[in-house]
Amino acid sequence: MTSVSAQYYDGNNTRRHAVTLTFAQGWLQVRGEEISRDESLNTASISEKLGSAPRLIHFNDGAHCEISDHASLETLLTEAGHQPLSLVSRMESHWRVALASLLLLLAGAVAAYLWGLPRVAELAAQRIPYSTAHQIDEQALQTFDHGLMQPSKLPITRQQQLQQEFEKLRRGYSLPEYPLQFRASPEIGANAFALPGGTIVITDEIILLAKSDEEILAVLAHELGHVSERHALRNLLQGSIVALALTWYVGDISNLLATAPTLLLQARYTRNFERSADAFAAHMLQAKGMDAAKLATLLDRLETSHRGKNRKGSKLDEWLELLSSHPATEERVKNIRQIKPE
Amino acid sequence: MHTEGLNIRFTGKGGEYFRIWIVNLLLTVLTLGIYSAWAKVRRMQYFHRNTWLNESNFDYHGTPIAILKGRLIAIGMFAAYNVMINFKPLIGLAILLVIAIVMPFLLVKSFRFRLYNTSYRGLRFGFTGSFKGAYLNFLLLPVASLFTLYLLAPFTHRQIKAYQHNNSRFGQTAFSFDAGAGQFYLIYFLTFLWFLLAGALLGVGAYFIFNHAIVEAAQENNRQMFMYIGIGVYLLFIIAMLLLVPYFTSRIQNLVWNNTRLGMHEFESNLGAMKLFWISISNFLLIIFTLGLFKPFADVRMARYRLQSIRMMPAGDMDTFLAASKQDDGAMGSETAEMFDIDIAL
Repeated sequence: MTSVSAQYYDGNNTRRHAVTLTFAQGWLQVRGEEISRDESLNTASISEKLGSAPRLIHFNDGAHCEISDHASLETLLTEAGHQPLSLVSRMESHWRVALASLLLLLAGAVAAYLWGLPRVAELAAQRIPYSTAHQIDEQALQTFDHGLMQPSKLPITRQQQLQQEFEKLRRGYSLPEYPLQFRASPEIGANAFALPGGTIVITDEIILLAKSDEEILAVLAHELGHVSERHALRNLLQGSIVALALTWYVGDISNLLATAPTLLLQARYTRNFERSADAFAAHMLQAKGMDAAKLATLLDRLETSHRGKNRKGSKLDEWLELLSSHPATEERVKNIRQIKPE
Repeated sequence: MHTEGLNIRFTGKGGEYFRIWIVNLLLTVLTLGIYSAWAKVRRMQYFHRNTWLNESNFDYHGTPIAILKGRLIAIGMFAAYNVMINFKPLIGLAILLVIAIVMPFLLVKSFRFRLYNTSYRGLRFGFTGSFKGAYLNFLLLPVASLFTLYLLAPFTHRQIKAYQHNNSRFGQTAFSFDAGAGQFYLIYFLTFLWFLLAGALLGVGAYFIFNHAIVEAAQENNRQMFMYIGIGVYLLFIIAMLLLVPYFTSRIQNLVWNNTRLGMHEFESNLGAMKLFWISISNFLLIIFTLGLFKPFADVRMARYRLQSIRMMPAGDMDTFLAASKQDDGAMGSETAEMFDIDIAL
């Protein structure tokens, strides 16, 4: 018969009593200088083991025992016909289980990042109608118009002409029919982008940079690729989940610290979207009898205008490419030029 | 008599806590987050039961369901705000306002929960702060502080600590707090001086490092160059925070505990800014290099230093604290049914 030494407190004051616990005739017997009680182990609550921290046995009247001698308590509980350790406690006590948990978590995180999250975001985005997501677009445009962007300075006739060509381009595709949004923006520079609800914004700067309307349409075809595949919305969804997960994981150390890996992880998603939109554009342009290489030509020119002339690629630049939201232009140009007519 | 005081001892071990942490993290992920409430109870119990004062340990009695309820409320508010601010900003702002208005109420609930569920030698702690006091200290004063360009911030901080400590009790014995606002102003002022000094040094450093780059980037509208600079500024900011936060935290903890009493018993806290700085920065770097796996070791290390720097100076017998009267206890007990915990760090 095992006896376990314990500390006893009656729950009414802080006085400590040294006691011994034994299990006999179906009762847990608590014995000390001034203490003598018999308790049923079925009504007492026995705390789970947490590492080497003391375990507690609470009785119904608020009294409790603290036990630091784990081995003896486990023997006593076994003698009394009780499972001495819970499943989770047993898992927590083995390094092998800890290592296995770690590997499972890592594998799960990688799988979720590479396949799970993109797939879930895609399915969710397909279920959100363009008209619902369009409210985000209106909100975003309002924000942009408060500083970052100004009304377009292109003549109305030019805008109307581009608008007509844009409508011709998307004819035959099941795409939302929101008008093209023209804006001037020295801050953003030569650019075009698709918003989550399917609105496409194009800046005067990129229109002026283009040497022909075909180049402009090539860019618009790329943006229609983003719209058709709901990239902006998917990006919004999976990007916020990545941000949420990382903030939860490292957030209590520093919220600021969470931003760098978040950007890094989100960047891979957007790079994949760019590649996919390039492919969509190339096929769309070919279907309309246009030259897909025009997109490549404009991308090349954009690159030169953004980078300046005297800049050489360094090792650091290659690393920074990881942080970039777009794949390297060289790679994109090469890919677009490789897409064969069907 | 214990004239030299009773040190708090912390016996948690990094490796042991790592195993608890990783197993519970796995279970949390497998249950899509639901197990996190059970994991929190285990974490709290691990830290409480490994905290010793006068050869007895603390304990934590929170129930997972109450914690789960609190988390659902918090996630609900957070999600409602985040969705609405994207679609209908006005409704989003209205939700934010509602959150601000219910926050003091939730805080009182959460303090009651946390203290009532903490015990030492079988006696529960308790919180008796009123809702009125909570609205004054957690809503009115912070808003006033905002409108006075944070000149009231140290005073607000003092009022919050006074509200928390003056309304806490252990069994029947009340805690009391008697630090003046002046002492808070001094710490804020010194931290601000350090901030200016660190800012000036980092600014001069940044000027020499980035001056050339900024001019070049501006001239060429070079996005990648701006990115380098962004990363540089980001790192400098983190360094500044790593330097200042331990200084501020240690000074505040010392001030608060040196001016808190439990009945006639006093406390003494001598947290060192340099030691805390060393622990923070090494924890921080190790967490980064291990991709977060050092986190449980870091938590144990930090808890050990912060707890062991506090000691109690007993003014009499430690065996004579009494539990709150049965009537009080019943009132508290019945309320636990409707209580929940909100994870808000203050």
